[in-house]
Amino acid sequence: MTGGLLEQGLTSGTTAGQVPPGGPVRRRSRRVLGVLAPLALLGLWVLVSARGVVSTRLLPSPLTVADAAREFFFGTSTVTLAGVVPFAGAGVDHLSASLARCAVSWGLAVVVGTAVGLLLGVSAWARDLLDPVLNALRAVPLFAWLPLVLIWFGIGESSARALIFLGALWPVLVAVGDSTARVPRAHVETARMLGTPRRDLWRRVHLPSALPEVVTGLRLSLTLAWTCVIVGELSGVRTGVGAMMNAARESGRTEQVLVGILVFAAVGLLADLLLRALTARWVRWASG
Amino acid sequence: MTGGVLRAQGLSKAFGGLAVLDGVELEAQAGQVLAVLGPSGCGKSTLLRLLAGFEPPSSGAVLLDGAPVSGPSPSRGMVAQAGGLFPWLSLRDNLAFGPRASHRPAAEVRAAVDDLLGATGLDGFADALPKQLSGGMRQRAAIAQVLANRPPVLLLDEPFGALDAQTRLRMHEWLLDLLAERPTTTVLVTHDVEEALLLGDRLCLLSNRPARVVDEQPVPFGRERGRAVLSDPAFVRMKAAVLERVLAA
Repeated sequence: MTGGLLEQGLTSGTTAGQVPPGGPVRRRSRRVLGVLAPLALLGLWVLVSARGVVSTRLLPSPLTVADAAREFFFGTSTVTLAGVVPFAGAGVDHLSASLARCAVSWGLAVVVGTAVGLLLGVSAWARDLLDPVLNALRAVPLFAWLPLVLIWFGIGESSARALIFLGALWPVLVAVGDSTARVPRAHVETARMLGTPRRDLWRRVHLPSALPEVVTGLRLSLTLAWTCVIVGELSGVRTGVGAMMNAARESGRTEQVLVGILVFAAVGLLADLLLRALTARWVRWASG
Repeated sequence: MTGGVLRAQGLSKAFGGLAVLDGVELEAQAGQVLAVLGPSGCGKSTLLRLLAGFEPPSSGAVLLDGAPVSGPSPSRGMVAQAGGLFPWLSLRDNLAFGPRASHRPAAEVRAAVDDLLGATGLDGFADALPKQLSGGMRQRAAIAQVLANRPPVLLLDEPFGALDAQTRLRMHEWLLDLLAERPTTTVLVTHDVEEALLLGDRLCLLSNRPARVVDEQPVPFGRERGRAVLSDPAFVRMKAAVLERVLAA
């Protein structure tokens, strides 16, 4: 009975490794373009510092900064006085402290944001009740939370984590809430008709259907969590890339501040690439 | 399994002040295909949504084997024009969705899905996503997704309406074969007279909105009808006559 019934095979053009419009040559040349801008920026920096246009106190030369970076990660650590934030050889310690803080707070933000977002997306009642409050809280700048968080959690680790959590929470919450609220009614009806109990709809329909937008929210949230590390580390902690930068600013070490900025940029970029790679298979159905 | 008896009893539906159905009475007999024809916009889809339980009736009742039904249920599988496949699931997971929702054992689910993949001629596409399938394949898969629950009743809302004429004819023959193998009481809503006569055992004609049943008659062609029946003079005459009635309804 199937003879002659089969239509043609897979429709073309949706596989992951597909060549973008313009072919492989075009793609390679576009990758080159992406490297060109940072190189140009570096060139400008070299030029400006070589000509002495700007004082080295404001903008040290790239070589000075590279030296500082090498010292930061590979230098021999000097024993410092208690309460002084170390620099030489302390790179790995600072970086891992910041990464741990960011990971814990972001992880918590993802769990809480997804749970509350799902509640808002699935229940119109919860949406009507909580939306105004959440929208108002969302409008509070992160720096405005700083004094309150310090009063509540005191100077140190807990405050740093709380601030990063607050910064990372909203993108997840909004992405999950908005996208699950917009799940087509037909999907919900089909699932119900196929026998899905109401209490399972959130995990069988709402979350998978919203996943591509949720992933976008996760990426935004991770980037924000990472940027909030610097605010969180204003809370008086003695370790972390942000703590190092604050200490460097106080002692006027601009090259160390710049090392911190470069570390933030590099880690942020790598974290986003990693998250994209890890979530690629969740969003494949919605791409192309 | 020969399917259940689905009955609409004085079914009325109004949205606000707009009356869409006005005391619809119909009965789909066990294992038979009831084709519901009506002018465009007469409330055919609303009727089917009520039969599926997606909307409650304003008055009247839907009875399956004599028992009133409320809410959607695996006992009445519905497929609409756009199909119900979940775009994020592979074809295999789409077909397994219903059996898994009712927690059937994994081995049983796998066997049912393999069986349906064969019956739909989609064996080679188990791991494909819906977007990678053609329109005809998607509609076959959507019907298979619903049949995986072995529902006594199948509700089809213009299931082939978005397909081209040749694909649609193939789908008609495929559906006739499928229902011959798995007798399932079917209510087929369509505006296509040829489709209604080709697939239906009985024909039910609705009036303009608010819809009432204005005529019901058996379709006098055997179950073994393929595309050959299309050129049967009796089929051609009946098609013309029914079309006149639909346009006059």
